[in-house]
Amino acid sequence: MRRSLVCLSLMVSLYVCLAATTAIADETCNSPYISNLIKGQEGFVHVWTLGVEGLGDGSDKLVTIDADPSSKTYGKVINSLSVGGRGEAHHMGFTDDRKYLWAGGLEDSKIYVFDVGTDPAKPRLIRTITDLPAKTTYVGPHTFYALPGRMLIGNLSNSIDKGGVTGLALYNNKGTLIAHYAMPTTTLGGVKGDGYGYDVAVNPAKNVLLTSSFAGYQNYMRNLGHLIKDSEAMKHFGATMVVWNLKSMQPSQVLSVPGAPLEIRWSLVPGQNWAITAAALTSKLWLIKPSEGGMWSAKEVGTIGDPTKIPLPVDISITADGRGLWVNTFMDGTTHYFDISDPEHPKEAYTKHTGSQVNMISQSWDGKRIYITSSLLANWDKTGADNQQFLRVFNWDGHELTQAFELDFLKEKLGRPHHMKFTARTYGSQSLAALAR
Amino acid sequence: MILSAPVRAAVDVVPAVAPRMDFTPLPAGTYSLPTIQTVGDAVLLDEHAQPVHLRTVTAGKITLLTFFYTYCVDPLGCPFVRDTLTMLRDRILADPPMAANVRFVGITCDPLNDTPQVLSEYGASFASGGPFEWRFLTAKNVPALLPVLEDLGQDVSVDIDARGHPTRALHHMLKVFLIDPKGRVREIYSLAFIQPEVILNDIRTLHLESSARKKGGIPRDRYASQADALKR
Repeated sequence: MRRSLVCLSLMVSLYVCLAATTAIADETCNSPYISNLIKGQEGFVHVWTLGVEGLGDGSDKLVTIDADPSSKTYGKVINSLSVGGRGEAHHMGFTDDRKYLWAGGLEDSKIYVFDVGTDPAKPRLIRTITDLPAKTTYVGPHTFYALPGRMLIGNLSNSIDKGGVTGLALYNNKGTLIAHYAMPTTTLGGVKGDGYGYDVAVNPAKNVLLTSSFAGYQNYMRNLGHLIKDSEAMKHFGATMVVWNLKSMQPSQVLSVPGAPLEIRWSLVPGQNWAITAAALTSKLWLIKPSEGGMWSAKEVGTIGDPTKIPLPVDISITADGRGLWVNTFMDGTTHYFDISDPEHPKEAYTKHTGSQVNMISQSWDGKRIYITSSLLANWDKTGADNQQFLRVFNWDGHELTQAFELDFLKEKLGRPHHMKFTARTYGSQSLAALAR
Repeated sequence: MILSAPVRAAVDVVPAVAPRMDFTPLPAGTYSLPTIQTVGDAVLLDEHAQPVHLRTVTAGKITLLTFFYTYCVDPLGCPFVRDTLTMLRDRILADPPMAANVRFVGITCDPLNDTPQVLSEYGASFASGGPFEWRFLTAKNVPALLPVLEDLGQDVSVDIDARGHPTRALHHMLKVFLIDPKGRVREIYSLAFIQPEVILNDIRTLHLESSARKKGGIPRDRYASQADALKR
């Protein structure tokens, strides 16, 4: 997934004053408010990687890989930037100007801000934000979603009981907390909120923010094998999504979506106001769309694999035309492609076993390249021979995935690769500040 | 002026799509706009080549501030914002007390081309006359402008020709800043959020807020800590 989760809707937004090119580009899962989307071939893929004790320097790190097939270093690690500790590196998000990547740690709740605009081949750590728990009581910063001039963060837990009740935090691009908003625990629209959080995704044409729900620190930091055997703990997973009024940042409706709904993807087609998500524990696809009287509905529309085997759908990635959806299922290491041209009736059109464990999936805007990483969470990854840790890149011709290259993150002594983001080599333009120098 | 590499557009802008608004905006005064940041000061030049402290045109009134350049031709770029602001000005003028409390400020991204004289002629073409304050600012040079761009997160890039020389093609992310009378940015609109009815209600919301403040009633800050919710 390219952005972790969120993908979202409208691509637009941004932009520039000049040039009215017809270019379409970039990943399909970024906030729609960022600028300079990638038109063609991505130049670099940045992988937010969990450190592993005893492996290399053991630190979480931002790993940069050359993704340009015309480059001499194509498929190679060209930079590795360690942050000096292990805090369960997880997801990232660009700022609205795409100059910076914000990356979070689910264990230590630190937020790292990397400059990827000055030289995307050599990102620099420019800021570490550590005040999230103290100022909000929220921990586990998960989704980083750019809004104009600011970053909306969906969190997973809280510092009081480390359960799943949490909220959203809004920072400005300078790293100062602006506001924070509790996930609802009251009844809204006939459904009681569970207070849990996970992904965030915005549709400005409807003035709507959607959020989903996962689990708290006590669950996501626990060994998966032990967790599954603990029936009481297994009750503490999110079962709701929330519709928010984006302007007021007030929740307006709670939707019942059992089974831990994770990534949210709005259709990227202007005028299409539906979103889709996958529920991890039930292995179901859910469609969220406008209903009557200004309300929204959530409807189960599809099944991913065999739910009785708990394949655990994790990341999803929607195509730019809103007609296809990639889904990775972690437990069986399978990548699925769904035809969602009729979003009410998704049809599974293709599957491929892509690893012993697969988690994140990102696609290029043109849909021709698929990037997959292996790690879910440090304590949820498989062990022994099944603990493959890789980045695998595939070409997609509409019928078959063909591997382009692979990087073994254990062999490279890097760690557990998780979230990916793309940047491009800069050709033909320069910042005004650089010119002034 | 480096820039060696051949022009091989790996990065380009997404096709701009006009903003949509498929909802009824919240009534003014029924919501709060949190402070995003304050606006730093800088010395710029006005249409008469007189030095102007930015602080003096970003405080004291509700301000809509944007960056532009006069020769931008992108239909969903600077001209789109200019037309939107012109329409908003006309709507605001229908409410004289509020109109007296609102100003627009445009700062050029290209101080080399957009001299005070150029700005004077540019502004006169659509912002002349009437009681409404609409200011256009430039800088004596690019270095004088950069701190303002940096402060407000307004990245500007310039296309380079095959010989590595800058062209007149500028790229900047479209942003309009809503600033309250205390010089605090309370909202930022990128293209998808240039929804005139929403912007108008945001201005009205700040106007109601400043009116209430003058009368001694400060609106409740609904963004106070929500930790209580967890503790409950």
